[in-house]
Formats: sequence, C-alpha cells, structure tokens
Amino acid sequence: MIEIAGLTKTYGRGARTARALRGVDLQINPGMFGLLGPNGAGKTTLMRILAGIVHPSEGALRVEGHDLRTERGKRAAKSLLGYLPQDLGMYPELTAAQFVDYMAILKGLDETKKRERRVAEVLEMVALRDSAHRKIKGFSGGMKRRVGIAQALVNDPKVLIVDEPTAGLDPEERIRFRNLLVSLAADRTVILSTHIVEDIGATCREIAVLAQGQVRFRGKPSELTQAASGHVWTVTSDRLEEPEQGMTVVSMLHLSDGIQYRLVGARAESAAAEPARPSLEDGYVWLMKSS
Amino acid sequence: MKGASLKYSWLTYRRDQLWFPLALFALFVVISLILRRPAIRFSLARAYLGFIVPLIGGIMASYAVLDDPAIELRFATPVRAEQTLLARVGLIVVVQAVCALAFQLFALTLRVDLSPLGGVLAVQWIWLLPTLALAALGSAGSLAGAQSVVGAFLVGTVWLVELMMKGWFELNARYAFLFLGVFTPGHPDLALNQGVIVVATTTLFFLSWALLHQQERYI
Repeated sequence: MIEIAGLTKTYGRGARTARALRGVDLQINPGMFGLLGPNGAGKTTLMRILAGIVHPSEGALRVEGHDLRTERGKRAAKSLLGYLPQDLGMYPELTAAQFVDYMAILKGLDETKKRERRVAEVLEMVALRDSAHRKIKGFSGGMKRRVGIAQALVNDPKVLIVDEPTAGLDPEERIRFRNLLVSLAADRTVILSTHIVEDIGATCREIAVLAQGQVRFRGKPSELTQAASGHVWTVTSDRLEEPEQGMTVVSMLHLSDGIQYRLVGARAESAAAEPARPSLEDGYVWLMKSS
Repeated sequence: MKGASLKYSWLTYRRDQLWFPLALFALFVVISLILRRPAIRFSLARAYLGFIVPLIGGIMASYAVLDDPAIELRFATPVRAEQTLLARVGLIVVVQAVCALAFQLFALTLRVDLSPLGGVLAVQWIWLLPTLALAALGSAGSLAGAQSVVGAFLVGTVWLVELMMKGWFELNARYAFLFLGVFTPGHPDLALNQGVIVVATTTLFFLSWALLHQQERYI
C-alpha cells in the first residue's frame, strides 16, 4: 500500500520557484491504479518521488510502510519497487538478457543461478524469450518498452510504477502492453501514469486525476464518466463552425449530412443539440473544464 | 564488487571514449620511436605519465557518472552512491593505470631510464596521485554543476593553469601543485605536497558522494 499525505514538491528558489505538486493526498491499494492528467500536471514528479529518485519538499509518503523521506526508507522501498520511466534510457550494446541481468544485480539479486532463472522468466513474461540474446539497439520501440517492463519486474516488485508506458507505441503494441500491465496487477500494486484517457479506462479500477499539481478527482473510472452526465451533447451542422461559448469540442465526425460535433460544457444553447451518453474522456474533459 | 557487476561496469562503459586515451598513448609511442635521443625519450615518458595520464583520467571521470543513458533506472535501484562512484570512476582509473603501466613497459623496452623520477613506486606515485586528484575534481565538478562538461572544464583549467604557471606554483603554492613530484622529484616539501593532495582528493570524492545523493538534479 502507498500512503501519500500533503505531498508538495517545489523546484528552484526565489522568483524561479515552480511548484510541481501542491498538497497531494492519496492512498493507493493493490491492483491497477491510474494517474491521469495533462502534460505538466506533476505526474512524472509524483512517479519519481514514488520511485525514490526525487525528494519531496513537504508531506509524508510511505511505500509498503517505508518512509521515503529518509535514506534508509528510500533504499528499503527501492528494493520493493519496479520502475519504468517515461524516458527509458538503455545500453544499446547490451542484449536484452544482459540488460535485465545487470538491472537485477543493481537491485541486489546476487545469487547467479537464481538471477539467471528470474531473467529468463521475466523475458518470457514479456514475450521476448526469442530475442533475449539480441542487442537492444536493434529493437523496435515496443520491444524496448517490454525490456523496460522486464527490468522493472526482475526483482518481483510489490509496487510497479510505469510512467507514460504506451507513448510512441503502435495500437497493437499498446493493447498488448495494457493487457500485460493488467495481468501483472493481479498480485501487486501497479501505478500507471498517462495522459491517454483510453489506456486508463481499459485497465484501471481506481484512478486519480492530477492537474496543476493537485488531485482533482479520486475514484472509479465510472464515477468520472458519470460526472459528465448531462454535460455532453452532439450537434450536427452542415458547415464548419465555432463551438458555442463555454463548450469544448471533444470530437468532430464528418457524416453524409454534415459534421457531427461532440460537445462538453455546462449547457448547450443550440436547439439542435442532443444529449449524449458520456464517455470517460468526456468525464475527464468536464472535470478539467469545471475545476 | 562482484565479478558480474565488474563485467557490466565494463560493458556499459562508453567504450567509444577509449579512443581518447588510446590515441594519445599511440601518439607518444610513435614520437618516442621517432625521437631517439635518451633525454627526449625521458621527457616524453615523464610528460605522458605525469601530465597526459592525469589529464585524460580527469576528463573521462567528468563524464563517467552523468554520461549514463540508464541513469534514471540506476537511481531507482537501491545501489549506494559509493558503489556508483566506485564502479564508474574506478573503471577510469583502471583504464589509466593500464595505459601508464603499458607505457612504462614500452619505455623499458626502449631502455629509457626513469630513475631520475625515483624508484619504481615513486614513478607510480607521480601519475597515480594527480590522476586521482583530477578524477575527483572532474566527478565533483560534474555533479556540482549537474553537467559533465563543467567537470571537464574544471579539470582542463586546473591542469593548464598549473602547467603554465609552474614556476609560480613551485614558489608560492607548492602544496597545491599537482605536478611537483614530476618536475622536482627530490623536493624537500614533496611529502607534505602529496599529503595535501591526498586530503584534497579524499575531500573531493566525499563531496562527489554527497552530491550523488541529490539524484533529482541529474535526471
């Protein structure tokens, strides 16, 4: 379990101060947890704090009972964590097996035989057994992500932190990756940070929405969807036009009789506007508009 | 440090940077073969061991810690700061040690007399101490500036200033003169000079260690 209370992170000093997180309170239970938010919301900062890399400026933070504000707590928590950063840097000259083996050593898996078995196991889990002895420099983006998840899993972590893991992947790879994360969440906490609403909706039981360093929503995806109920409309127009004031165009679809707009806002004035069933994306847009 | 860890320290080391020490090694070997006068060969050996090896060691150490593509992943593991420093900077010192020892063997085959620099151990001391000092300065500078180039610049500046102002350092700041043992091996203050450099080197490595705990500055 992860407990976060009043977490604040400030970068810089004086006039150059930037507050990335402002009093974040969260409790994250085992299972798949989604962290959603626009770019610059503070998601990566929160992920890095949880991974023990960035030190919080204020607030309390415990991962499986270990206090991440102390060096000892950080080291103890890191041995229970698996982390896949947004910008995944690797050693291109190493093979996938060597890279995962090296990360296993860094994570303290000293026993050679046991480590080799575990490396083979995790590469099998991410469907890279056949490419285990190929150099990483020849891998596609999706394969590199899978090597990334293999290294994150090699110490059998209780908490898996993945930051924007599907960025740059093709649709097929994205679906495969999402399914893999869901299967991993069966017996551990998986925190998935993304700005892709679809990824969260398809995988997470619980989510939090972060914006400008604050938690704007905490609950089930269905609750976020429900929040937009009565605020979503479709309007079909025969020409391209500006949306009504205060409305956000979520999507535009060219039909045979014109353009169908999907709008999110407090109230649609147009007589042609028809209420629509909200999606998770609508819920997210409505939350961002109303907060 | 365990064998497997050493293997990966080597495999993950930016081996494309090896051209730098190897090219200078080859250059000094070639010049020594061309210039046959014993006095010149001695000067070349002294310059290579006393000035070139430390300079390369310092510059490479500046890039050793931060120039790591998987630095964020490394920071997310429970590896201690001292292990990272040892694995990264230690490897540079080993590379420089191999170059220095190989050059001494080469000099021996050319019958270059290195005895004016002292005994066998004293000869090792003249390259090892400044190499460690500049490596410590390079890593501390890089970590303090959160950029490898800062460390490399500091190393280059100290090296150049001390060599350009050799006379002034010998007279006014001999305890801080990295190359006192190279220029004047029998200097009466050499032991004190070496003691000061050892303390400064240790302090700089300790500073690097402390700075390496501030992981968020380097990602």
